[in-house]
Amino acid sequence: MTSTPMGITPMIEYEDVHKRFDAPVLSGVNLAVMPGETMSVLGTSGTGKSVLLKTTIGLIIPDRGDVRIDGRSVYQDGKGSLRELRKSVRYVFQYAALFDSLSVYENIEMGLDPEALEALPKGEVLDRIAKSLENVNLDPRKVLNKLPAELSGGMRKRVGLARAIVGEPRIVLYDEPVTGLDPVNAATVNHLIISIAERTKVTSIVVTHDIEGALEMSDRVALLDSGKLRFVGTPDEFRRSTEPLVMAFADRRAAAAAALKMLAENEDDNLPGSMGSGSTGARA
Amino acid sequence: MFMGFARHIGEMSHLTANIALSLVQGKVSLKSIFAQCYEQGIGSLPLVLVTAVLSGIVTSQQGGYQFTSSIPLYILGSVVSSSVVLELGPVMTAFVLIGRVGARITAEFGTMAVSEQIDALHSLGRDPVPYLAAPRVIAGMIVTPILVGVANAVGVLTGLVSARATMGLGPEAFLYGARLYWHSWDLFYSLSKAFVFGFMIPVISVHMGLRTHGGAEGVGRNTTTSVVFMIITVLVVDATFPPLFLN
Repeated sequence: MTSTPMGITPMIEYEDVHKRFDAPVLSGVNLAVMPGETMSVLGTSGTGKSVLLKTTIGLIIPDRGDVRIDGRSVYQDGKGSLRELRKSVRYVFQYAALFDSLSVYENIEMGLDPEALEALPKGEVLDRIAKSLENVNLDPRKVLNKLPAELSGGMRKRVGLARAIVGEPRIVLYDEPVTGLDPVNAATVNHLIISIAERTKVTSIVVTHDIEGALEMSDRVALLDSGKLRFVGTPDEFRRSTEPLVMAFADRRAAAAAALKMLAENEDDNLPGSMGSGSTGARA
Repeated sequence: MFMGFARHIGEMSHLTANIALSLVQGKVSLKSIFAQCYEQGIGSLPLVLVTAVLSGIVTSQQGGYQFTSSIPLYILGSVVSSSVVLELGPVMTAFVLIGRVGARITAEFGTMAVSEQIDALHSLGRDPVPYLAAPRVIAGMIVTPILVGVANAVGVLTGLVSARATMGLGPEAFLYGARLYWHSWDLFYSLSKAFVFGFMIPVISVHMGLRTHGGAEGVGRNTTTSVVFMIITVLVVDATFPPLFLN
């Protein structure tokens, strides 16, 4: 176990984590996330970001290496340890992974530790669930009894966030929290992650493609490429970095964003009723 | 291929052991078991009744056709009751359950697996075995013998009615023939077979559902494979029972 010069033990520590499926996905990842820190892991698709996140709570077991949470090994202390560690960690899935057959109330209730749930009076459970929904800007009276299928994509993501924070975990792991959302909903979710971190001092790891969001919300960012961490530093260090991979990644994202913007503008021009060159509707 | 088969057997044995363990440890919710009993039992009853009625009619008709002018017609009572109780009741009910319950479980669990709901359960400290798998398997073992019992009774009764309507064989003669070669063991044999089917169908469907990957295509593929496995298993178990228990 490592500790910083200040003697603080990392909240999450990946030590030489290896994982291979058909090809190597993680090849010796070492990373320490400090208590209360928000760390974003960036990288292109298929670089192993989600795999790294899933090794944190044993959803994917590394072939080699170890993950420690608050100094305790996830893999070397037996299944009981993993069960115990999972109580303090919550995972926000890419598409929320809400249970289809359960209402929003029941879904969020699942975020409470089963033993704590038995001990709590019904009224307090309801209060906690309502509060967690309010914390993600959802009106409990409107959504509590709805099924996930009755919610929009953005609302489902926010219910997923509410489920993650209702049990007041020490660690929240976000797997592509803004994937599939429109820019407005994506910004809302990014701001919720920031406000949750500020309010609860929770330690967070955010796996994302969204560079701007990551640089805004994170204390540090890491860049994963071909199964290895190529960069770890503050958002400012990332912006100033002259590392070719960092620059290429940032440029690629910037170029893609510019292309999308141009495409959107062209589509606006082509809309019936607009004054663009392709606007047959306006001339008819 | 052999390695793949062995891996399936190993994983299903592991699943069965975990279900038994969670049951012994009292981790399985009675409410969930009742809900599954209702879903599998009451939900399947109409289709089971339809197959039972048709099985009874067909056996009676074909038996009557073969016996005409050669064997005393009251023997038809024995043929119908033995065919329905020993074979058609359990097997036809099992096929109904494969289509209605087994395929549904595999598709449901498969969808949960590909949409990360199974991972979500793990991450929330809930083990899918006592929470999802055990209630379905236990319910299967409870309701299948009951459904087979109902299918047996309905099959024999419709055989009797059909014999009366088309061949003029009275109920007394039919029941006389049925009693003539009746062994109480036959009913025990039939319900035991049902119990094994009621265990195998949900275990295979749960196992196949939980190991699904590859999106919607994976769900479709695994559901088909699961149905094939269940049909073959039912037929193999059915073929294994007579040499073991009827000699």
